[in-house]
Amino acid sequence: MNKDQDLPLRSDIAARFVPKIVILMVYLGTLCFTFTFFMIHSTLLWEEKLTTNLSIEIPFFSDGSSANLQTQVTDLLQNTPGINKVEVVPKEEMKAVFHSLLGESTNIDTFSLPAIVDVSLNQRDGFDVKNLEMRLKNMSPLIQLIDHRLWQSQVSNLLFTSTSLALLLTFLILCSTLVTTFFATRTSLLIHRKIVEVLSLIGATPSYIAKQFQRNAFKQGFIASSVGAFLAFLTFLGIYFLFKNAGQTFIITTSFFFEVLAIFILAPFITAFFMMLSARRAVMKALCS
Amino acid sequence: MSEVIGELLGVGHQYDEGPEIFKGVNFYIEKGSFHFITGLSGSGKSSLLKILYLGLKPKWGSVKLFGEDTFQIKPILLPLLRQKIGVVFQEFNLLDHLTVIDNVSLPLRVRDVDIKRSYKHAAELLDWVGLGDCMKVYPPSLSGGQKQRAAIARAIITRPQLLLADEPTANVDDEMATKLLYLFEELNKTGTAVLIATHNQRILKKFPYPQLALREGTVFQLPVEKKAS
Repeated sequence: MNKDQDLPLRSDIAARFVPKIVILMVYLGTLCFTFTFFMIHSTLLWEEKLTTNLSIEIPFFSDGSSANLQTQVTDLLQNTPGINKVEVVPKEEMKAVFHSLLGESTNIDTFSLPAIVDVSLNQRDGFDVKNLEMRLKNMSPLIQLIDHRLWQSQVSNLLFTSTSLALLLTFLILCSTLVTTFFATRTSLLIHRKIVEVLSLIGATPSYIAKQFQRNAFKQGFIASSVGAFLAFLTFLGIYFLFKNAGQTFIITTSFFFEVLAIFILAPFITAFFMMLSARRAVMKALCS
Repeated sequence: MSEVIGELLGVGHQYDEGPEIFKGVNFYIEKGSFHFITGLSGSGKSSLLKILYLGLKPKWGSVKLFGEDTFQIKPILLPLLRQKIGVVFQEFNLLDHLTVIDNVSLPLRVRDVDIKRSYKHAAELLDWVGLGDCMKVYPPSLSGGQKQRAAIARAIITRPQLLLADEPTANVDDEMATKLLYLFEELNKTGTAVLIATHNQRILKKFPYPQLALREGTVFQLPVEKKAS
């Protein structure tokens, strides 16, 4: 005999469907959270690699004045406050880009390729681009200034929105699991009304009765969410190997892999804990009102 | 006058739109007292006990138990009052999914008494009421009399300050009824106030304690009967 058997909750008809729902919810929830985590991780990696804020395109002049103009431009950039780094993109690197787009057989040397100067700013915001552009246009109206910050912030916003939505979805999945537990507990209380009444009459406190439901919800939640998390982990591995076999780069690092593994291990504990709280709330609300 | 642990003042009740089962009931339960509640079937004996064990809220009047107004007390504190009361229910109210020993030790367990200690205590009590062989049996397998004895053992295991028993001898033979009454007497001697609803005339004659008779919805105190030989 142990203390959680004062109520026959194990054979409870009301709670029979709960483990199946929890398996599904935890499966979806952990995958959704992993996706969120992946998005956050990828965004941080991407932002870390983003060092170029502006690019200056200096056109090619057949009279050979391009080199002189390039020197003037780099001098101007190096003497402009707020600019951290100025780097001329090597011809080989540009050729490699064109080769990847047009094919290895294309003779890039016949093209009149412009010179590209990458510029890193000290701070992403607060730099007067209009003024710089005006000064560059004074040197040559054909010089183009490309501000990468515009599309970078758009991509950043998109990533932030996706991450927020995924987080919201995870939260909703957790909420629906807790609501299911709450109502299953209420139904269970109704089914065992007679026993609960006898327990109350012999002096059992609402907290004592709630503990019986809590323990049951924790056990049930832990077992079901372990199954859900395990299935989600298998799915994650499946997706990982699918990408790997297809030759796609699925940006995950070793640390990310272990962090994800921690999510799958922690998910059953977290879900079971919240299910336990939900069951307690349902009982205390019913018995103390 | 000794300490009053229960007080009913102007208590009246009716179920739904039915007739009033009693009205203006006044009586006190003193610490260590022993009373029988008598009356015809349907006179409201069980309802009166229900009010006393806080299983029924009367429509009129006030009920004080252990100095607390049961109408004013916070619901969360009700279990603390109930823990001072032992109840033998008319329908026994044993939990069918628990063995007899689990049923009997339940009041101790809900008070957080160690399981081993509660089992030991329950086993002793079950031996005393003649259910020593039925400890691991489930209530549906017991006879009416055995259930009655198990219910009594459960009610007294905590040595309550007030024992309420609804027809505790209804399903047992005279010998066992007498034995159970002796048990109640022993408990009474330790300071427990005992209130027994019964219409067993032999018991009433053999145990001449004050009787509260429920007639026409009111309680009358009857003179103590002469003890039968």
